[in-house]
Amino acid sequence: MSFFYVEPEIYRRYRDEVIGMSQSIQVNYPENLPPEKRRPGLSDEQIAEKLGLDKRTVTEIRCVAEREYYGIDEWQKAIEFKEQACRGYAREGLGFTTRRLFKERKHAKNNEG
Amino acid sequence: MAQTPSSQPEKPLDLLRVAEEVKSAALGYGADVVGIARAEAWEKYVPEGYRPYDLLPEARSVVVVGARGPTAGAWRSPNPRVMEVVGLDFANDRAIAALAGFIEREYRHYAIQAPGLSVAGHQPPFSYMLAAVLAGLGTRSFAANIVLNPRYGLLYYSACITTLDLPGDPQLEQDVCPHPMCVQTYKHLGRTPCIAACPADEGGCLDGTIDGNGRIDSVYYDRERCTSRAMNFGPVAFQKVLADLVSEEDPTARESKLHSDFSARAISGVSFYKESVAQCFECMRVCPIGRQERKLK
Amino acid sequence: MNPAKRSLDAAAWKDKLKTTAIGGGALVFGVADADSFEAAPEGYRPKEILPSARSVVVIGGAKPRAGDWRSPNYQHMELSSTNDRMTALCMRLAHTIEREAGYYAVVVPPGVDEGQRPFLSLSLAAELAGCGSASLAGPVLHPEHGFMYFAALVTTLPLSPDQPLTDPACPAPECIAMYEEQGRTPCIAVCPIGDGGCLGGSIEDGRWTGRQYDRGRCMARVYNYWGPAFQKVMAEVLQEPDKERRRMMIHSSLFTRTLWSMTYANISQGQCFECIRVCPVDEKTRHLKQEPEP
Repeated sequence: MSFFYVEPEIYRRYRDEVIGMSQSIQVNYPENLPPEKRRPGLSDEQIAEKLGLDKRTVTEIRCVAEREYYGIDEWQKAIEFKEQACRGYAREGLGFTTRRLFKERKHAKNNEG
Repeated sequence: MAQTPSSQPEKPLDLLRVAEEVKSAALGYGADVVGIARAEAWEKYVPEGYRPYDLLPEARSVVVVGARGPTAGAWRSPNPRVMEVVGLDFANDRAIAALAGFIEREYRHYAIQAPGLSVAGHQPPFSYMLAAVLAGLGTRSFAANIVLNPRYGLLYYSACITTLDLPGDPQLEQDVCPHPMCVQTYKHLGRTPCIAACPADEGGCLDGTIDGNGRIDSVYYDRERCTSRAMNFGPVAFQKVLADLVSEEDPTARESKLHSDFSARAISGVSFYKESVAQCFECMRVCPIGRQERKLK
Repeated sequence: MNPAKRSLDAAAWKDKLKTTAIGGGALVFGVADADSFEAAPEGYRPKEILPSARSVVVIGGAKPRAGDWRSPNYQHMELSSTNDRMTALCMRLAHTIEREAGYYAVVVPPGVDEGQRPFLSLSLAAELAGCGSASLAGPVLHPEHGFMYFAALVTTLPLSPDQPLTDPACPAPECIAMYEEQGRTPCIAVCPIGDGGCLGGSIEDGRWTGRQYDRGRCMARVYNYWGPAFQKVMAEVLQEPDKERRRMMIHSSLFTRTLWSMTYANISQGQCFECIRVCPVDEKTRHLKQEPEP
């Protein structure tokens, strides 16, 4: 007996549904939103019940899907993103993130005018 | 501390006074903030299995502490790698470990340090962030749903679950996020500073809208992209490297990948990741909440 | 003047170190003679760590709290076991000895040397220093506090040694009674070597004897997610011909958890407590109040 891991075919079949119901992409998560608006994501037990799978399989699919969601290139891009954002902020302060947007807005207004 | 030693005849505890003593002890152990939530408060927010009494039978209350992570100086460093490596000194964990011992010793009630590490993928048995919200220490934000404290902004939280029947603190009535300055920025640009720093529609993690009352109307957070940034090196990156290696057919390419700088940093992060729990601070860097606390001479 | 040149009041130093240790959170403190480690293999004795060593100071503590034992979620204790606090406290004692008494002191490394051998057996040191006695379950148990984490330092400071316990903590009277009735102690009953577990043995004249211990199986449980699990999964991955399956294994929950445990090894040291959970030695320290105050 090996250790428990999910068969690729099962993984492919349920991956999107499992990750969609989990907390991977969080839409309207905060507790202080009105209850009718909140979508806090489901636990593995709750997903298993919805899909008619056992909890262990759902956990396994979710774990693999979390890791496979983005390719390794996203980790490389992350280094570049932080380098740019951190040094930009040290240089220009808060304006680093908003100056470009203000410029674009001004440009758009001028064009309207 | 004026407590009844265990060997003395027991008197009913004055729980209001005990709550104050517990909070005072937590601050003495190094916490920056402390609050208490009633155990039943979890009912409304999480399914069975993730509530305080699922971890400690007869749990009545949860003491939550928060501590600042990076120093003010670290926030000023232009090199993002500084905070990647020295993000956290575990002051919150140390405080809560000492506090759990204090509660068992002084009040003879059960107390455990709530387990907050992941046990299945990203999933921990207990959410410290929810505990912080329920203990009135902060509210969620546009920035990765991080719970922001009104005074300090970003904090690292730990929690102690106990059978001690302490009175809970109220949840904050006033949302900490969005800050008035961010509401103004949003009115002009359609984005808050954090969303502008890491916009989902431009390869980032965040999005959201503010309603006419200046409150969060909707919020979007791509946790998996955030993982690639906030867990850039360490266990997750190491898995990505390994998965890539075991899929690579060309032995020369395999060797190059294995010895790459990225791979070396990923492996090194497995050892040192505990000190660098968070490796991306860009949404928090531009957050005005807690900024005053980070201003020094 | 070098503090070591002053005349040494060994008894006062022992008291000072003990007070510092207990004040810093240790539950027990003891001293073993550095020359009393004949039971350790050559190369793994105090003088091989520090030539001219005279004493080995042992402290124990950081045991699971009463609340920890009550949690029905086994994962809770997997994430909260640590000897870090004891090792850090031991380092404080070592600094005190060097800086204030002027004698050499080395903290015994908590990890292992080649061949998975400890640099110096902390269990043996704890026994020789009178901090506890070996148990049928394995860990050294203190008669009052039961299971705990130990740390030790080796020093040239000549301290008067304590003596090993004359009455061992294990087997407890309850275990002797259970053995007489059922032929098993609680720890053997929960993890029997003949039934997929790790422990076996018998009790004769109130002492345990003929202990059987499956170290390999115990490692699979205590280090469920750690270095050995990493090796096991990688061995499977490298044997697996299907590329896609290999990815499933690398991204599996077991392997993910294993990497987290390797990262957080300092607070995820023991990952199986079942034999100690049923141990009655420190049972009385595990009962506190749980009812609401009247």
